[in-house]
Amino acid sequence: MRVFKNLGWFFKLEKKSYITGLVMLILVALMELVPPQVIGRVIDRITTDTLTSNSLVLFGVLLLFVAILTYIFRFFWRVMIFGASNRLGRTLRKQLFEKYSSMSPAFFGKRRTGDLMAHATNDINAVQMTAGAGILTIADSVITGGAVLVTMALTVSPKLTLIAMIPFPFMVILTSWYGSILSRLFRVAQAAFSSLNDKTQESIAGIKVTKTFGYEDEDLKDFTNLSDDVVKKNLKVAKIDALFDPTITAIIAISYFLSIFFGARMVVADEISLGQLVTFTTYLGMMVWPLLALGWFFNLIERGKASYDRIDEIMNTKSDIGNTVTTDSVPSGDITFDISEFVFPGEDEVSLRDIHFTLREGETLGIVGRTGSGKSSIIRLLLREFDTSGSNTVSINGTDIKQYDIKKLRRLFGYVPQDNFLFSSTIRNNIAFTNPEINTASVHRAADLSYIHHDIENFPEGYETVVGERGVSLSGGQKQRISIARALISDPEILILDDSLSAVDAETETAILRNIEQNRAGKTNIITAHRMSAVRNADLILVMENGRIVERGTHDSLTGARGWYYDTFKAQSLRRNLTKELDETLEGGGE
Amino acid sequence: MTSDVINLTLKDQLRVLVRLLKYTLPFKGLLALAFSMLIISTVMGVLTPYLVMIFIDNYLTPSVFPEDEIMMLIIAFIIVNVLAVVTTYWQIYLLQRLAFKVIQQLRIDAFRKIGMLGMTYFDKVPSGSVVSRLTNDTQAIVDMFTSVLGTFLMAIFMVISSFVMMFILDVKLAFIALIFMPVIVMILLVYRKYSARYFSHARSLLSDMNAKLAESIEGMKIVQVFNQEKRLQREFEVINEEHYQYNLRTIKLDGLLLRPAIDMIYILSIILILSYFGFLSFETSVTAGVIFAFIQYMERFFEPINQVSQNLNIFQQALVAASRVFTLLDDTRHEPAQLNDEQYKITDGRVEFKDVTFSYDGNVDVLKNISFEVPPGTTTALVGHTGSGKSSIINLMMRFYEYERGDILIDGHSIKELPKEEMKKNIGLVLQDPFIFYGTLTSNIKLYHSTMTFEMVEEAAKFVGADGFINKLPHQFDQKVVEKGADFSSGERQLLAFARTMATNPKILILDEATANIDSSTEEKIQESLMKMRSGRTTLAIAHRLSTIQDADEILVLNKGEIVERGTHDELVQLKGIYYKMYRLQNSKQ
Repeated sequence: MRVFKNLGWFFKLEKKSYITGLVMLILVALMELVPPQVIGRVIDRITTDTLTSNSLVLFGVLLLFVAILTYIFRFFWRVMIFGASNRLGRTLRKQLFEKYSSMSPAFFGKRRTGDLMAHATNDINAVQMTAGAGILTIADSVITGGAVLVTMALTVSPKLTLIAMIPFPFMVILTSWYGSILSRLFRVAQAAFSSLNDKTQESIAGIKVTKTFGYEDEDLKDFTNLSDDVVKKNLKVAKIDALFDPTITAIIAISYFLSIFFGARMVVADEISLGQLVTFTTYLGMMVWPLLALGWFFNLIERGKASYDRIDEIMNTKSDIGNTVTTDSVPSGDITFDISEFVFPGEDEVSLRDIHFTLREGETLGIVGRTGSGKSSIIRLLLREFDTSGSNTVSINGTDIKQYDIKKLRRLFGYVPQDNFLFSSTIRNNIAFTNPEINTASVHRAADLSYIHHDIENFPEGYETVVGERGVSLSGGQKQRISIARALISDPEILILDDSLSAVDAETETAILRNIEQNRAGKTNIITAHRMSAVRNADLILVMENGRIVERGTHDSLTGARGWYYDTFKAQSLRRNLTKELDETLEGGGE
Repeated sequence: MTSDVINLTLKDQLRVLVRLLKYTLPFKGLLALAFSMLIISTVMGVLTPYLVMIFIDNYLTPSVFPEDEIMMLIIAFIIVNVLAVVTTYWQIYLLQRLAFKVIQQLRIDAFRKIGMLGMTYFDKVPSGSVVSRLTNDTQAIVDMFTSVLGTFLMAIFMVISSFVMMFILDVKLAFIALIFMPVIVMILLVYRKYSARYFSHARSLLSDMNAKLAESIEGMKIVQVFNQEKRLQREFEVINEEHYQYNLRTIKLDGLLLRPAIDMIYILSIILILSYFGFLSFETSVTAGVIFAFIQYMERFFEPINQVSQNLNIFQQALVAASRVFTLLDDTRHEPAQLNDEQYKITDGRVEFKDVTFSYDGNVDVLKNISFEVPPGTTTALVGHTGSGKSSIINLMMRFYEYERGDILIDGHSIKELPKEEMKKNIGLVLQDPFIFYGTLTSNIKLYHSTMTFEMVEEAAKFVGADGFINKLPHQFDQKVVEKGADFSSGERQLLAFARTMATNPKILILDEATANIDSSTEEKIQESLMKMRSGRTTLAIAHRLSTIQDADEILVLNKGEIVERGTHDELVQLKGIYYKMYRLQNSKQ
């Protein structure tokens, strides 16, 4: 029942729908009482030869009236109650989506996409059921059940009602007992199904290995075993599940027997009429559903409660990106890192140590170093994917970035991530991600700057080509360049290229960097790279190793220092020339 | 997330249903048993009101109660109901059992089909949708069998038996009552038409919404850094709202045509019965029992219709699911067929490519007139840029794709003719991206090999030098491996894949060297074990690091699908061509 309390806010919101719906339900319950009464009366009049055609017509008209009204009331309670519960689903989905979009990467790192999806699908469904079918079942049990019971007692006989009701508690006890066994067995069956699901997923992902070793048949056997297990466990469910109907049949039969046996005596004793007995047995049939509904109701709210709690847990999870805004100002100016030690939440090892530098507004920062040296960690802190604490600060214009409004802060950045995530949409939409309404010329210009315009024009559908799982597959370099165009289109104050030129060849890299340099005068750039050539013209170059800055300076000063930077630069230049030579030879061959 | 929305025509639905029902044929006994239970339970069900009618008309109305006749009636009542209860149970259970047997068969067929499909299929179909064919779609069919077909069958039996009883009681009224039949059928047809439309639309919107949600979760970082949360929320809201609107339409449609409508007709039928008997009573005598029984049968006639109509959507959904499963079963993109000439054996392991030209799509040739020979026990290395055709050579060699032009021979026999068994046993492929299965390290090395002992597993691991890191693990060979082996470094995964291949001791080794960055200490291990693996085996190796294949007996340099240079390392260096340039490039320190 607590789930209803939890959903109180929603019921309040939909007060009108629920009250109207419930009133309709009450009216339906009252209408349903009429036909058995009419049947009983007509039978009585026939058996006592007192039926007139006038009264027959009157009864007919009454029933017709009841039929039409029931139809109308039934239609409206559905629209009211189920409509409201669907609105609840819609609202929760919306809230959850908004919640997800406010959470930090740490949140997504801890939870699997599948689980997050399950909250938005299964859990919302269960809660929606509680607010729809749940309300319906309890209302029906109480209203219809109560009305029928009272009517039986008042219009026929309280004694007979009591007798006829004797078997019914057993039905409630038995069915809820089956229900509890069933939910346990069902969980087991569900677990078996989910292992089958995992197995299938893995088999398809590893299909090449299986084919290589020729183990298709063995894999099928393994699958068959798991599938057998699913069947076995589901049949256990079926064994119990199949008990419901016969149990109800049996209980009704007993109740019928009792009411006719004792009812007949009462008819003989002239306590009730024959017609009343028929009315009574008809009412008896109407008691089944409300009692069953009661069992379902408890089942429904139990599931609804569990689901609501799961959703609630998500809704109450605070983003670990704190909100400590103290200034309205739009951040701009020099960027200063002042970090003596930074550890990512949940990790043991220190990721960054003694990172102290200032990047002046309008200058370009280059960060180089091996994989895992801490290049991206610097970017992640600047983007506020994670927050620093204590005396460790990242500041812009002397103010800790945590004190700026995060929206305003993020508006500064044009970010090109390492993994080049593109959305399943057209190339145009991907490039115009920050502003779908932007004109085509700007889209083309951004694509031009990132050297992808030509590639796009060569696709059959040009900028309207759909990318992603359902569209064409792009090469890593193409994805990178589209990501760069996406970042460039808004002409950001700070452009961040996080190892985003790794998949493009040397010439394209040079061209893109030249474009950036020429078109972004006075704006800040941050470039992390494996290739020294990408940061060659930077105003400040940091060489990272194991989370520390091991060398710093400009290209000239670092070259002069003859350290790691110099060695690597030299080796890479040589490689670059050799690659160029090789590519030329390869291009010459072939056709 | 693929929104395969299929709108089946009535004819398609029928075809799918028939095909689905054919799956029950192997379980004739079960089917017959379930049917007989169904028949008995239905007959018993209609007998109860009949007994009550006899009691009312023959004994209660005239108020005579001869003890033994009443006793007989009570015994009959008890027998009828006990039988009804028992047969109802078995009929429900057996139908469910049948459903699961059918699904089991369907799943196995589908899974077997997966094994038969070629890489051309897996290239095109996203793995997620293949998985849902096998699991979710088949599950939807279970629901149909258990909740729909059972209900349908019962409904048909109940409707027929109720009508039979009505005809026994009063032929004229039964005939008149028949007019409700076409009315109900018409309502259901109209309902089916619109509900199918709304329902499939609502479902596709739901699937769009879920796809959008999943994608947003995956790309949340980008969304946030570009401040696009609000816009995505708005876009989500649009679909969310439309989905709600369609659901509301479905609710209204259900309200207009389902239970409320059927129940209204039920009340109309009561009006009919009462007026009929009422007016009849003015002329002849009418008994209360007959009216009672008639109303009972009328109710029994309407109740199953209510149940059926409520399950129509599940039914249609299941048919769509079934049609998707059947589409998978009917897919013709099979893996290349083997002629399986049992007399051909792989003895020495001589591999020969004879003028092979190949294209994936039938337009662009990715391999052009490739000819070379790998004598037994020697190593041939394939080098070249991405897209030069190296991987295609291996794909053909492994029979992942069928070729038409030229031929590939092992020990003089075309690989199209060699028995599949022989091929798999003697050719070991090490994939570039080693796939690690859920299980233990042992199970990952052994896979499904039936006769491999633990000693052999251990030996293979030792041979490739994987024992070093394995022995450091807390559970060593029994160490559990999580999804895709995420706990291990890419170098360690590579070594495991080596061990897996070497455990079967193949005569021919196909190596697709990993391009992934591997930490230098593991890298050394890998080079060492590659060397060991190759010795004495016919090896065809794709090399990204030229240093690993310097000792190869022949190196083939590929460019744009053609072999442009060939020879030993020294010869190729002398030639000062592409290979030489690649070599110099790689020798220059990173």
